[in-house]
Amino acid sequence: MLSDEREQFRGDARRRLLLVGGCLAAGFVVLGGRLFHLQVMRGGEYRTLAEDNRISLKPITAPRGRIFDRENRTLVENIPDFEVVVVPELAGPLRMLLKRLGRHIDLTEDEIKHLLQQARKQRSFLPLRVKSHLSWEQVSSIEVRIHEFPGVDLQNQSVRYYPFDALACHVLGYLGEPHEGERKRFSRINFRAGDLVGKSGVEQRFEEFLRGREGVLEMEVNAVGRHVRELHRNPSEPGEDLHLSIDSDLQKEAQDALGEEVGAVVAMDPNNGEILAMVSTPSYDPNQFIRGFSHAQWQSLSTDPHRPLINKALQGQYPPGSTFKIVVALAGLAAGKLEPKEQVNCGGYLVKEEQRFYCWRRTGHGSVGLLQALTQSCDVYFYKLAERLGIDAIERQARRMGLGAATGVNLDGERPGLIPSRTWKRKMFKTGWFPGETLITGIGQGYVLTTPLQLATMIATVANGGTVYRPSLLKLQPDQSPEVMTRNYFSAYHLDVLRQGLEAVVHDTTGTAYKSRLEGNIRSAGKTGTSQVARHRREKSGQIIKTTNEKLLDHALYVSYAPVEKPRIAIAVVVEHGGHGGTAAAPVAKRVLERYFNKYGHSA
Amino acid sequence: MNDSGSGNAWLSRGGTGSLNWPERLRRFPWSLLLLLLLTISLGFGVLFSAVGGEHNLWLFWRQIIQTGFGLSILFGVALVAGEKIYRRFAYLFYTGSLLLLAITMIMGSVGMGARRWLELGFFRLQTSELMKVALILALARYFHDRAKAGSQGWRDLGIPFLMILVPMAMIVKQPDLGTAVLLAGVGMGMIIVAGISWKVLLTLVIGFGASMPLAWNGLHAYQKQRIITLFSPERDPLGSGYHIIQSKIAVGSGALTGKGFMAGSQSQLDFLPERHTDFIFSVLAEEWGFFGGVTLLVLYVLIILRAFLIAEMANDRFGLLTVVGATLLFAIQVVVNVGMVLGLLPVVGVPLPLISYGGSSMVTIMIAMGLLAHVNLHSRQHGRSV
Repeated sequence: MLSDEREQFRGDARRRLLLVGGCLAAGFVVLGGRLFHLQVMRGGEYRTLAEDNRISLKPITAPRGRIFDRENRTLVENIPDFEVVVVPELAGPLRMLLKRLGRHIDLTEDEIKHLLQQARKQRSFLPLRVKSHLSWEQVSSIEVRIHEFPGVDLQNQSVRYYPFDALACHVLGYLGEPHEGERKRFSRINFRAGDLVGKSGVEQRFEEFLRGREGVLEMEVNAVGRHVRELHRNPSEPGEDLHLSIDSDLQKEAQDALGEEVGAVVAMDPNNGEILAMVSTPSYDPNQFIRGFSHAQWQSLSTDPHRPLINKALQGQYPPGSTFKIVVALAGLAAGKLEPKEQVNCGGYLVKEEQRFYCWRRTGHGSVGLLQALTQSCDVYFYKLAERLGIDAIERQARRMGLGAATGVNLDGERPGLIPSRTWKRKMFKTGWFPGETLITGIGQGYVLTTPLQLATMIATVANGGTVYRPSLLKLQPDQSPEVMTRNYFSAYHLDVLRQGLEAVVHDTTGTAYKSRLEGNIRSAGKTGTSQVARHRREKSGQIIKTTNEKLLDHALYVSYAPVEKPRIAIAVVVEHGGHGGTAAAPVAKRVLERYFNKYGHSA
Repeated sequence: MNDSGSGNAWLSRGGTGSLNWPERLRRFPWSLLLLLLLTISLGFGVLFSAVGGEHNLWLFWRQIIQTGFGLSILFGVALVAGEKIYRRFAYLFYTGSLLLLAITMIMGSVGMGARRWLELGFFRLQTSELMKVALILALARYFHDRAKAGSQGWRDLGIPFLMILVPMAMIVKQPDLGTAVLLAGVGMGMIIVAGISWKVLLTLVIGFGASMPLAWNGLHAYQKQRIITLFSPERDPLGSGYHIIQSKIAVGSGALTGKGFMAGSQSQLDFLPERHTDFIFSVLAEEWGFFGGVTLLVLYVLIILRAFLIAEMANDRFGLLTVVGATLLFAIQVVVNVGMVLGLLPVVGVPLPLISYGGSSMVTIMIAMGLLAHVNLHSRQHGRSV
């Protein structure tokens, strides 16, 4: 009886023990399953997270490539820039230290206060930047006393330096912090805080070439970010140097020749498209972008109506004026619709559809052939030629001379200019082409727009006998051949006639650029242009009323090449609102050409 | 034999009487001790790595000394006392522990924002640890004395519930949610085995579920935070979610075979908080992988199975329930601690038995193991033991 009762108890207790044991078993099964899930199924994922925790990557910056001119003169280099840092953990009382340090590097009370605030925000074993862009005096003054400043260190980073300041600033460009578009464009580059990127010029175009590849230092860090040991070092690859086709002497001469004028000069080697000088005024000092601007400085630079940040050589679009007559003449000769000796009478104007089209010389040029028409830039002659050719032929020839489309020079932001056509007109204005529009196109007015770079390409094509080379800012390597965009096959006779006309522009006493002929016996050829900015107001007699508003003054243009026997340099000059091409633009070209021949001699 | 309690204890013919010393040693559950020593040795290996090897070796040595002290307590509890001593003094021990808890509440020393310790001059007594053992013995005594066939209804359970709830409330106030939950689990398990009626059990489970929202409101803000964090640690990765995230990374990155001894980056580079105490399982899992983690879990399961065998063979209800209580004290700590480390349970301060660094918890666990051995020693069916 007693035994039965005991067995009953035991049985009951056993069942109940099983319940408790079952609950525990369930618990352990869940733990085991969870362990399996975390470690076996998701182990790889957590391994990655653990590595991310453990490894801190520190970039090793790659020195940016330097930029040289065609004679290996340094246009852009990297110079050391010193900054003082302090590791607060090692410094002792920070305020005292900063005060003592301040005597050597001119720290203001406010700066010290700001630094102390910063120090509170960051971990005390990380260096705190006290001051950047130290002068040599400041560096050496700290250097000799470094033992007096525990935790203080001088750090050396390299920054861009442009030794010739504003020289060729538009070609070189400047650096700045990358914006969203640039981050997308250079998606292969991993930008970091404080990284700079080329914002314009070759600094921008050759960003990836100049930049090099940054290295990386893999460091093991602990939970608070303190460096434990170096795991692996992947050194950086320095950026490559860039050798430009620019000749600093010509560049400087062209810049000086433009002086205070607003405009652009492009000089190139007509035999391969190498750009020898490319100037746009006003200029700026790219070093300022490194040192940093004051707000006022930046304001004045970015809101200047003369737009110093724009490279007018390829972003400024100007009516080519009479320089376009070269294109029209070639179109006429090529089409067989122009007999050079044919005389045309200029009475000062031409009537077309009850409208008077004036020659620049109110009194007329009388009877002129092609030679005189070019020399004296007779408008009536070219009205008639254009009328005879029609817009289609002019457009075709202009495009074959590198006009009306971006040349594809190795700089960003190039504008295409404009060569009007019937289809273009219909698309833009929904109207047909008027014959009068052909006439003014014939003298490079109306809708026609060209950049100084296109004009230089055009005159270089005449100089080399018909080949349109793609202009380039890079010096051709000995094994490289220049890139040809178009080849024109002009007959030797036609070319000769045209060139005689252009030579007479400079060397004939009646030529529009006679005053800009070169010293010595170097003969150059050229064509002036004066492009109308606003419709001239004329008196009843037809006389132009001289304007005093500088903004309405004509642009002065000049294209030229030399020497005529075997041209080695072609040049285009635009002076905004400069007045007449012969008086404002040609003298600029003259200075550049003279500098060229002084330097390189008459014959190559 | 004259039982101290009234009622019909189901082994009235009494136990083993007084055993001589060779007999006591012969009857000692050496297999249990072997399992414990294996686990402890594994723990030493993990702790050595967790304290950073050579750098904090003193912590490691201290743990060895504490373990030695713990083992001697185990032997003392198991071998010295006669069969009925624990039953006889159960209530006195319980009352004393309750008093000490009360004193701690009033004048205990504060550490880590909680009032848990009583300064006793030469050492600090964590009175809630005493209470764990006291509660087990007192409940066992209560059910031993009032044993009756069949299930027990509400009327029989009033006093046991009070015995659990009073110290629990005091410990929650400290605040030490982990220990309070542990007491509840141990007490509840003992009541189930003692013979609660299934109807009452069901009502309690439902009632417990229904009172959760109320309990939620009673929690401290930091305790609520821990529970919220459990379910979405990413919400506050640098704050309260940090422990759980880093622990899961450590465990997960251990993968199948682990990173090797002293080679766990999470452990060695300070990413793991509390890695030599409550989060030591992460160190094991990171450095020894799934194999290491499962090995430890298997050792725990073997210890628990061995304990259940002892329970099964206990002479009387007091013995049975003492073993159940001691086993649950051990097992629940394992489940709660590992569950917390694996991100299954909220972060409550429960150490991992036999592995975590710390003297107080080591002593408590050793007392519990000593009680197991003591019951085994005096079991008449000893011959059947493994």
